[in-house]
Amino acid sequence: MPEIERADAIVDRITKAIGLGLLKVGERLPPEAALSEMFGVGGATLREALGDLRERGIVETRRGRSGGTFVVSQPRTQTDTIRDWFLSTSISEIRDIGDEHSAIAATTVRLACERAEAHDVDRLQELARALVLASTPELRAPADSRFHIELAVAAQSPRLANAEIRLQEETVQQLWTPLTVAFDPEQATAEHLELVRAVAQDQPEKAQKLVLEHIRRNIFHLIDTKLTLGYAARSIQDGQ
Amino acid sequence: MKPATEVVHAADALTSWISGVAMETQKLSRSVASLLEHKLAGKSKIDKAALVGLDELSREFLTKNTFAVGAGTFFATESVEEGGRPWEWWSRKESGAIGRLDFDLTPGSSRYYNYEKLPFFSTAASTGEQTFWGPYVDYLGFEEYILTFAAPFSVHGNFAGVAGCDIRIKDLEPLIMPSLRAIPGDAALINASNRVVLGNSGRYLVGERIKSGSPDQHRLDLDVPHLGLSLIYTP
Repeated sequence: MPEIERADAIVDRITKAIGLGLLKVGERLPPEAALSEMFGVGGATLREALGDLRERGIVETRRGRSGGTFVVSQPRTQTDTIRDWFLSTSISEIRDIGDEHSAIAATTVRLACERAEAHDVDRLQELARALVLASTPELRAPADSRFHIELAVAAQSPRLANAEIRLQEETVQQLWTPLTVAFDPEQATAEHLELVRAVAQDQPEKAQKLVLEHIRRNIFHLIDTKLTLGYAARSIQDGQ
Repeated sequence: MKPATEVVHAADALTSWISGVAMETQKLSRSVASLLEHKLAGKSKIDKAALVGLDELSREFLTKNTFAVGAGTFFATESVEEGGRPWEWWSRKESGAIGRLDFDLTPGSSRYYNYEKLPFFSTAASTGEQTFWGPYVDYLGFEEYILTFAAPFSVHGNFAGVAGCDIRIKDLEPLIMPSLRAIPGDAALINASNRVVLGNSGRYLVGERIKSGSPDQHRLDLDVPHLGLSLIYTP
């Protein structure tokens, strides 16, 4: 492994250990020599990893007799990052993501109707089922985005596929991370399967209608989550 | 049917906030007019010297009114001397620093910002009253999704331009959403062209146009002169 990747791997292991409670805030890490040996890396790589953790504010190195490297804060989890996304993204921006996604997906699915072959349809069907088979939210997000990206692949358009990849990266974790009400994989799968049928039967009007409704429902879920996280209960009297 | 107490409260809160912005805008407009009248004295056209001091008014406005992302003045072209700059618009940058916004005002150029045709200017010019325009994508202007409050002013009795401020839609949301969320059903603030400025649920999404005719849809006009704003709600 190149040095930089090794340093990343160490950062990852230490972060996970803190996340799992194996290392607690306030605890001192073993001395550098011991850590080097534990991870099987040279001193330079280890110092690079510790430097990265320091920059992220997870550890702090103190000098002196009672010095050493200490864990000073919990690393941010994915859920924290996603909650921050909801708090910092406005409803108008979420609506706008949906607008762009609708434009991309409508053309993608129409082209897929014209251009997909039998084996594309089989693959899409398999990917649609993979979503309901995914057992955790962490697995549902990639299963969902994979299905949509493969639609663009079946449409034979690298540019639409790239646009779809970008849009999926922007929102799929937000959709499936259960912050308030969990998103239902069975309904999403049923919608995906219905889309595959429309593609298989070359029904572009129907496929477009289905994909637009599908995206609208996703966006509504994101907006509901935003309203719940950002503006709490409706019983609050005007907060101005 | 009388609107529910929550709706009345929300309408009052919205009216009071929006009136506040409208009053600040008018105050800016009056300050701009009096500064220009003073600077121009006998001259008929606005020249470079007359613009001195307008930047300070924009800065003061933005420092005081943190909800606004931009503030300043657009002049009617006929009131400005040949070759003069017909605007003085300042905006808050990402860093928080306040800087002048530049526009391309060369007719025929591909980035020509024809502000005199934009409703915040043209409506204020034709009616002589303050305007509320938005939400709109201010392409070639501030280039974000915003709304604009503008108030016309005259110099020596002639319409000379508008002073106003821009508010980002994303900045507006946290300011007025609490009022809308206090309404139990679906509700939205809508502008004079039935476009949603902000709604309290997915039913009314910002930017969408409301089709009237739904029997369960009620409307309460907000008491802010000339802006044409209303609150719609489904009990």
